[in-house]
Amino acid sequence: MDDRIGWVLAAYAVTALVLVGYALQLRLARSAALRDVQRRS
Amino acid sequence: MVATAVMVSVLAVLAWLLWLSRDVPARAPSSRSVGAAALVLVPLWLALVVFYAPLEVTQGVLQKIFYVHIPAIIPTYFGFTLSALGGAMFLRTRDDRWDHLALAGAEVGVVFCSLMLLVGPIWAKPAWGHWWVWDLRLTTTLMLWFIYVAYLFLRSFAFGSDTAKTFAAVYGIAGLAAIPFVYFAVDLAQGSTMHPSDPSREGLPAEMGRTVGAGMVAFVWIFGWLVAKRLELAFLQARALAPRAGEGV
Repeated sequence: MDDRIGWVLAAYAVTALVLVGYALQLRLARSAALRDVQRRS
Repeated sequence: MVATAVMVSVLAVLAWLLWLSRDVPARAPSSRSVGAAALVLVPLWLALVVFYAPLEVTQGVLQKIFYVHIPAIIPTYFGFTLSALGGAMFLRTRDDRWDHLALAGAEVGVVFCSLMLLVGPIWAKPAWGHWWVWDLRLTTTLMLWFIYVAYLFLRSFAFGSDTAKTFAAVYGIAGLAAIPFVYFAVDLAQGSTMHPSDPSREGLPAEMGRTVGAGMVAFVWIFGWLVAKRLELAFLQARALAPRAGEGV
């Protein structure tokens, strides 16, 4: 097997990390914003 | 065929986002279908990367990184264009919903631009022996990233202010001028660039072209879903900050 496969796996792992990380951050921010809205109402 | 699929996806996602941004609370559930489409497209694209796209003769398995690096440019340009469109419409109508769209487009565009800038060096180190070179394509892409990161800083420092929204709209439209420099950087460098030229102009083998195209389509739908989630968040944040009845100035 090509010994550079590790670089390829790293590139796809970074992709997953960035996209899933951002989606999770949005989810957390949404929960916080919902709490703020409920507190005000 | 591949270009058509990418174009149809971009136009469909654009039309849906424009429709969604008009009434986010009522129309937000439609993002589930877009998320589901992205969840189907991602494994299909990965299956093409692993089982369908042939190994490139000189680079071998390392070239598989291109199937994530190249597709990330479409949502990057899409996000910044959406930001300029939202900004222009905000200046025209003063409707906050356009401002939310401009902010969401810029933020998700920055996420995909960051992805491109992170994955590129992972390919460059084993291929060129350097993580980064101050090549025209790389430098202009980094500049584009800085322009929109500055836009996001501006938005976060002056949250909710009408002056900030107006300034951000103008800035977002002006920032779009950097895109042609990035796109044509390889031509502008006249052969003195290390970055490979646009693969669509070089004529990729059909299997490789289809795999890049599948990545672009998958990323466009992921982009659409993320922008929808960001729009929901912008709406909630604006609602949380809105003055209550009888709380006026």
